[in-house]
Amino acid sequence: MAPDSQTETQPGSLNATEMLQWAWRQLTSMRTAVQLLLLLAVAAVPGSLFPQRRANPAVVTQYLEDNPDIGPWMDRFQLFDVYSSAWFSAIYLLLFISLIGCVIPRAGVYWKHMRARPPRTPRRLSRMPEHGTLSLPAQTAMTPASAVEDASGLLRRRGYRVQVQDEDTDTPSVAAERGYLKEAGNLLFHVSLIGVLISVAVGGLFGYRGQKLIIEGESFTNTEISYDFFFPGTNYDTDWLAPFSLTLNDFDVSFDRSETNYGNPVDFTAAMTTRENPEAADRIETLRVNEPIGFGGTNVYLIGNGYAPMITVRDGNGNIALQGPVPALPQDPTYNSSIVIKAPDAQPDQLGFVGFFLPTAVVDDNGVAFGSDPDPFNPQLNLNSYYGDLGLDDGTPVNVYQLDTTSLTQLNGRNTPDGGITLGAYQTYDLPEGKGSITFDGLKRYVALDIVYDPGKTGALISTSLALTGLILTLTISRRRVWVRASTHDDGRTLIEYGLLARGKDQGLSKEALSIGAALAAQWSNTLHPANQPQQEGSKQ
Amino acid sequence: MPHRFPPRSAGTPLKSLAAGLTLIVGLSGCATSDALAEQANAGDNKNYIAGDGSVTEYAPESRSEPVDLRGTTYDGTVVDSADFTGQVTVLNIWYAACAPCRVEAPDLQALSEKHQQSGVQFIGVNIRDGAATAAAFERTFGITYPSIDDTDGAVLLAMTEYVPPQAVPSTLILDRQGRVAGRIIGLAEKSTLNALITDAVAEQ
Repeated sequence: MAPDSQTETQPGSLNATEMLQWAWRQLTSMRTAVQLLLLLAVAAVPGSLFPQRRANPAVVTQYLEDNPDIGPWMDRFQLFDVYSSAWFSAIYLLLFISLIGCVIPRAGVYWKHMRARPPRTPRRLSRMPEHGTLSLPAQTAMTPASAVEDASGLLRRRGYRVQVQDEDTDTPSVAAERGYLKEAGNLLFHVSLIGVLISVAVGGLFGYRGQKLIIEGESFTNTEISYDFFFPGTNYDTDWLAPFSLTLNDFDVSFDRSETNYGNPVDFTAAMTTRENPEAADRIETLRVNEPIGFGGTNVYLIGNGYAPMITVRDGNGNIALQGPVPALPQDPTYNSSIVIKAPDAQPDQLGFVGFFLPTAVVDDNGVAFGSDPDPFNPQLNLNSYYGDLGLDDGTPVNVYQLDTTSLTQLNGRNTPDGGITLGAYQTYDLPEGKGSITFDGLKRYVALDIVYDPGKTGALISTSLALTGLILTLTISRRRVWVRASTHDDGRTLIEYGLLARGKDQGLSKEALSIGAALAAQWSNTLHPANQPQQEGSKQ
Repeated sequence: MPHRFPPRSAGTPLKSLAAGLTLIVGLSGCATSDALAEQANAGDNKNYIAGDGSVTEYAPESRSEPVDLRGTTYDGTVVDSADFTGQVTVLNIWYAACAPCRVEAPDLQALSEKHQQSGVQFIGVNIRDGAATAAAFERTFGITYPSIDDTDGAVLLAMTEYVPPQAVPSTLILDRQGRVAGRIIGLAEKSTLNALITDAVAEQ
């Protein structure tokens, strides 16, 4: 990489082929990969600054309505679909190609490194960063060959891969190397990285994700029909929907009642009855935040919750037009929630209500009600009422959490002389002009579920774990080389020289040198001349 | 040298790993332009997956097994698919606040009256509403055929074995053996539904 780049950065006199080769080398260099990675991180920033359709499409639609000038331009630059935008995909794809182009040749190199024999013994071991000599007295009758054999055995026992060289000469030697697992780790890391990329692609191609709100007592069946929002993968097929079902029996939120964090939620527990498929037996399971319920490869996550007041709307003819729980959307930590109630079957006029639900209503000095606690100690509905056309009858999809008042006439409200509707628990309010009535029958909680099928998840987990393992091996294992050469001195002594070399930084090399010197000395201690102690420095010949 | 001693700092593989992790988080899905994805991205909070009006008619030899489902109507009558044998049955999946359901409701009622003599039985499958809300809808549109209270999703789940309905509203036409002979995803156009029923009735 770096050494080659000197020549690579002069494309002035290159022909087309060389130009392409140059471009390929640039793209697949580790430096480019890292730069693309940083770019990807920067490109992901708008994804957390602006609302994203994948996370919550409704917020994006609201944002576009609130910012009619700049909103459409942001949409044109795909700032609400950052992770699937053309520019983000471009960076991702380049990174993908860069990594694969970088990783595959490297994997080959590491494979070779892993299998390599220890290299030839250098001529001057004294030039090694760590080196030393020992001498064995002549009377020990230790030949250079047997000394090298001893050293070879010793090094092998210390975990080195050894290779005896120049056996038949006067100066035989042993070359030893250890830390091959470092290369294996490197190989594992790079191959796993490709595994991660493939797993991610598989998840994007063959997965799906959807959201659903269910109220206590309600059920969910995993069919497209049942979803509030549904995000299919690129190659999504209906058959992938595992036919499970679940029922929310009870949802419990406990709030902190100590003085320091008063009113903060402590625990969310959803008691569920689940069924793996239509024939399976019922199971009782508990769903918590970050503790999803799994159905084969599909996971159900708890991502939100709120209150659903039970409402009965009677129409002008005295018939019940609507009866049941209506989910209210929490606006703040005390669960003050906005609520929209639509009774399209009220006669003679359709009825609509918009306002707030307060779990614990308290009236302030100005007579304005506000919520003071997330638990339902004094639940209250504050509503404005309308009659007319709710806009549901021409078949156009309508936001269930908004009331389009363009074709509606206001009956009453906070700003009308007689004020809006204030309903405590179990109270009924009769609408003006005999249009009907509304009753607050009770309270339920609901949960918002994220249902995710990501077939690449297991692969991604395994690949990431393997990559991490490989990385740890690479970073913790030191690759070292040791050479020991024996020769016969003029005076008949057997002279032992050894040298150590590390690949890359190695803090432990001098320690290893001392240790090997000592081990060699111990090996021959009964025959060693007392004056000759292992020397680590300055024994240049 | 570069091949034998790759000059890499400890940070490089860490960053590469971070790349992998970023990708997992960021790219769990790619862009699509099909109708489902468009609906998801519309963010209109209509809170149901709308059908595109696609119609499928199954030739007798390519039909699946007779459907097997059980449910209870709002008036307490038990509906069993075993009773469907010998008659053409139309199943319509709906709920009161679903806008296209309100549009097709008068047509469904008219067709149920028209084909009554031929023994065609219309059955609604309501997936969301309580009894009173469902009754209000039936009052508004003068619906006389019964509806199963399927808020627990049992019928929906049973149907996934045959032809999974994919959107609200969905209309399924079952032949005299109780097999799915036709399916309309989304708003049922009156003449289309009429043709599907007529074909199923004409079979022996």
